[in-house]
Amino acid sequence: MNLFEFCYGIIHWLVDLINHLWYWLGDVLPWWFGDFFDAVGNFAASQGHMAVMTIFLEVVIVVVIALINVLNFIWIFRKFMGRMFDFYGPYYVGYRIGGWLQNLADGIKLFVKEIIVPAKADKMGYLLAPIIYIGSSILILATIPFSENFGVATNESGSYVPAGALFALAAFAIAPFSILLAGWASNNKYTLIGGMRSAAQMMSYEIPLLMTVASVFLLAGSYGFVDIVDAQHDIWFAFPLFIGFLIFLVCLAAEVEIIPFDLPEAEAELVEGWTTEYGGMRFGLFYFTTTIRSYAGGALATALFLGGWHGPALIPDEIWFLIKAYIVYTIFQWMTWSLPRVRVDQMLGIGWKRLLPLAVINLMIAVALKSMGWF
Amino acid sequence: MAGGEEVTLDWEMFVFLFLSASTLLSAIYVIRAREIVHSVVGLATCFIAIAALYIMLSAEFVAIVQILVYVGAVVVVILFGIMLTRREIMESEKR
Repeated sequence: MNLFEFCYGIIHWLVDLINHLWYWLGDVLPWWFGDFFDAVGNFAASQGHMAVMTIFLEVVIVVVIALINVLNFIWIFRKFMGRMFDFYGPYYVGYRIGGWLQNLADGIKLFVKEIIVPAKADKMGYLLAPIIYIGSSILILATIPFSENFGVATNESGSYVPAGALFALAAFAIAPFSILLAGWASNNKYTLIGGMRSAAQMMSYEIPLLMTVASVFLLAGSYGFVDIVDAQHDIWFAFPLFIGFLIFLVCLAAEVEIIPFDLPEAEAELVEGWTTEYGGMRFGLFYFTTTIRSYAGGALATALFLGGWHGPALIPDEIWFLIKAYIVYTIFQWMTWSLPRVRVDQMLGIGWKRLLPLAVINLMIAVALKSMGWF
Repeated sequence: MAGGEEVTLDWEMFVFLFLSASTLLSAIYVIRAREIVHSVVGLATCFIAIAALYIMLSAEFVAIVQILVYVGAVVVVILFGIMLTRREIMESEKR
């Protein structure tokens, strides 16, 4: 039973339950009411309505899982930073579970703060930019299945988002637009510089990222997550495409703006980068979404290079996937707290002069492996 | 629906009408907006709606490449061009 069938069952049961009440209500009312009630009830029980509701339920499940994971990730981020810098990290709020509730406390604090729109900001852009950023980032998660049976399916046959891996990268690519919009609309020089840096960085690192992913597509012969993961049944792509895996991790770090590449939010230079003028829960959502992007990056690295949900059958597939994604995220945090921030010229130099030729070499290795018939 | 046919709401028709309406309205907004960055927002909306129309035609790959190339690159390059040619951050106060 996959997720679609599970959700379809729930929706079917709910619609039946509500329709029983609804038809009963239609029966006790005068006939012209009854016809209307019948029409609405038939619509609710129709195939298209049920399929749409099922997909809504799936999306809710996926988003809730993502939000719980993000709470874990922020907790890991703080604890790991604490251990690296020789202090405890969050401790007092929920001290029996290692300070895990600190995130909820911070969330409540941000939630009750006043929402301010700067007087000279461009209202439309200022309000639209968070919507595009958060929406496109959560769209990435909808494409990533946790296992063969757990992902957002597109139709009754249970097949997954077509070309899912490419779709995830396309959703990744929408973010620079919203960041540039946020930086411009806040009407502040720091946000504008941060937005410019962010867009330049994301656009230049997207090219080697897509080229390494192209080598994976070449070896797997498919754009879909399920096929890519099945192709790694014998050997993970991280081993034959070792250069590609390293390039992928570096580019992903630049895409999700964590510290060696967090030029757009450099606290010492720009106040808080392109989120300077956003306060209250808007800032909270930006922070949250940046972590969602890190999580999506870890999940992408897992699915494309680390064998996805394959592992000894001792642990369920979904848990294997999450374990690998958490390990990739922890490696990101390790990188974050041990490396200094690169300069702007170094950032562009690394992207165009080092990573792009290496990505081409990686693509050539993939072509050689494919033409030798090893994959 | 003439002749006593049962009225059913066709989801595909509804989605198609919604997407084509948003494509047309955002295309009109591109040329009607006073602020040029707002035009770019309209342009991005137009591209995304066209990508969704491609998905309705079951051409998923074209839709994905449309988003990747047009929204991910062309719109950002246009925004760069607009922002790098202005001396002030915003000009809306002048009007």
